[in-house]
Amino acid sequence: MSDEHEPHLPPSEPAAPEARDAGSQALAEALHSSFAIVKVVLILLVLAFFASGVFQVGPQERAVILRLGKPVGVGPRQLLGPGLHWSLPYPIDQVIKIPITEIQQVQSTAGWWHTTPEEELAGANPAAAGLLNPAIDGFALSADTNIVHVRVTLYYRIEDPLRAVFGFAGDTNFTYSLAGVSNALQNVLNNALLYSAAHFNEDDILTRNVAGFTEAVKTRTQDLIEAEKLGVSVENIAVDTAPPQQLADIFQKVTEASENRNKALLAAHTEADKIISDAAAQAAAITNAAEIARNQYVTELSAFAKKFTDLLPKYESNPDLFVNVQLAETMAQALTNVEKWVQPTSLNGKSTEVRLMLNREPPAPKKTTATGE
Amino acid sequence: MRQRNLVTFIIGAVLVIIFGLLLFVFQVRQSEVVVITTFGKPTRVLDQPGAYFRWPWPIQQVNRFDARIQNFQDQFSETLTADQQNLLTSVYVGWKITDAAEFLRSFRGSVPAAQNRLENMLRSAEKQVVGNHALSDFVNADPQELKFDRIEKEIEDTVQGELTTNACGMTLEFLGFTRIGLPQDVTQAVFDRMKADRQRLISKWENEGKAQAEIIRSTADRQAANTLANAQAQAIRIRAQGEAEAARTTLPVFQQNPELANFLLRLDALKSTLNQKSTLIFDERTPPFDLFQHLPTNAPSQTP
Repeated sequence: MSDEHEPHLPPSEPAAPEARDAGSQALAEALHSSFAIVKVVLILLVLAFFASGVFQVGPQERAVILRLGKPVGVGPRQLLGPGLHWSLPYPIDQVIKIPITEIQQVQSTAGWWHTTPEEELAGANPAAAGLLNPAIDGFALSADTNIVHVRVTLYYRIEDPLRAVFGFAGDTNFTYSLAGVSNALQNVLNNALLYSAAHFNEDDILTRNVAGFTEAVKTRTQDLIEAEKLGVSVENIAVDTAPPQQLADIFQKVTEASENRNKALLAAHTEADKIISDAAAQAAAITNAAEIARNQYVTELSAFAKKFTDLLPKYESNPDLFVNVQLAETMAQALTNVEKWVQPTSLNGKSTEVRLMLNREPPAPKKTTATGE
Repeated sequence: MRQRNLVTFIIGAVLVIIFGLLLFVFQVRQSEVVVITTFGKPTRVLDQPGAYFRWPWPIQQVNRFDARIQNFQDQFSETLTADQQNLLTSVYVGWKITDAAEFLRSFRGSVPAAQNRLENMLRSAEKQVVGNHALSDFVNADPQELKFDRIEKEIEDTVQGELTTNACGMTLEFLGFTRIGLPQDVTQAVFDRMKADRQRLISKWENEGKAQAEIIRSTADRQAANTLANAQAQAIRIRAQGEAEAARTTLPVFQQNPELANFLLRLDALKSTLNQKSTLIFDERTPPFDLFQHLPTNAPSQTP
């Protein structure tokens, strides 16, 4: 820009004896102006060259700048957070972006039967084939050498992006990606499910100790992730188990038998509880009745003793009279309520015979409905 | 004119420098290792990232390797256990180049060639190690008997030993089983056994359910009977206590005149008995009916 006097230099070359003509002047001017345009373009290109080094790191990304192959910065400072950054143009600098904060997912491949993508989408199980084909159908062997299907899904975050990218190769093309860690994790899951299944009997895996088995898979997965220094943090591990499809019917029957047994036991327990609580109520009634009887007896006898004490002086003054009076009084009271029958003494010293109809209650009237038949 | 020459010179110099840099300088990136060969002979190994000088081809050549861990998995294939069981196994390994010059010499720097060699080593190590172990070492509910980890370690050690002996320039970082299975025809036998097991389980649940329900009921009956018997015993005790208590307080009173006590008690008994509906047959001589004896009757007069 500062070299603007150049066009004002005396044109030495065209200083021919003949005067410059209008045509050559026009050419010179045209050349001059196109040279200026080229210069501007060049400057713009240089600017664009340097501006091309500006790059953006998204909210779920980290980036590393390799300057002449070596990461810029030391330790964790090598990682660039979200925002705009600048790097020198390639080949001096190379920017590696790493997806980090989003939760990634990887699933085991060793323990589940073969499903087509359509079946996977529909969530349907394939029709039970005759036998398991080891080439495509995966399964695990349980501790009792039975066949069981196990599938592990791992949800994780990249915790150490530098380890993930610079520690594991995803392919053979020297590219920097997370594929290497993902592959290693898949192998870890396969190993964890085989290892855990080998420790548990099939019934434990499928029904009796599902929690224990799941825990074992998680522990093994964590251990391997730490041992192999994969640089990821586990968010969640989901474990699916299933019996072989070929035996689904009989497994269903076992479940039913087990449920029936539980139902029978529940009914028995309910009945037992009723028997026991009835007995407890009856027992309480018996002891309460005894308490009442005791209190009544003690009270009555005390009252009687009181009466005795009251009557004793009267009796002692004339026992015979007292007895006769009491007796007559009692007879008078008692005989008002009872049916009396006085048997006259025989007139001629012969014994008389008295015939009594006991049970004189009239017979119950006959039921007409009963007799009608 | 002079200025223009200067500009041309600078541009030319820059171009020469760039060309020279491209020709004489190369980069080693993070996680790469480079072996420089001079006329085909390894002369320098560079494992630190940065820019380095080299003589251009054909004098020197840059052989670039990935120093990161590479995942590899061998074929799922059959091996025989010590107890003659057919077992299908496949292992995964994480391996990496630790001596790039050796790696270059052994495999001409080809990763597929190296993995091919690794595959053979893994297969033969698996055959050897699996053959030394019974099936119960692979799967066992008793953690003491299970040798899963040990088998993996033995295979790893065997393969690592081979890699070192053969100067492959590679190291195993980790190794583990990634698949264990049974041949297709064996799965049928396993299914048959599993079916029989389930059948046994079904009848076990059925019988056990009935038996246990019966036990629960009869236990409850016994418990109920015990409760009632205890209550009866308790009731007898309570009544006896009452009687004892009453006797203690009232007997000394009645002792003052047992005859009167006896009379009054009998009188009381008589009252309470006759409270109910009853028929009494009296002799005419019983008081107060003896009074009737002195009444005139219409009976035939006494025989003369």
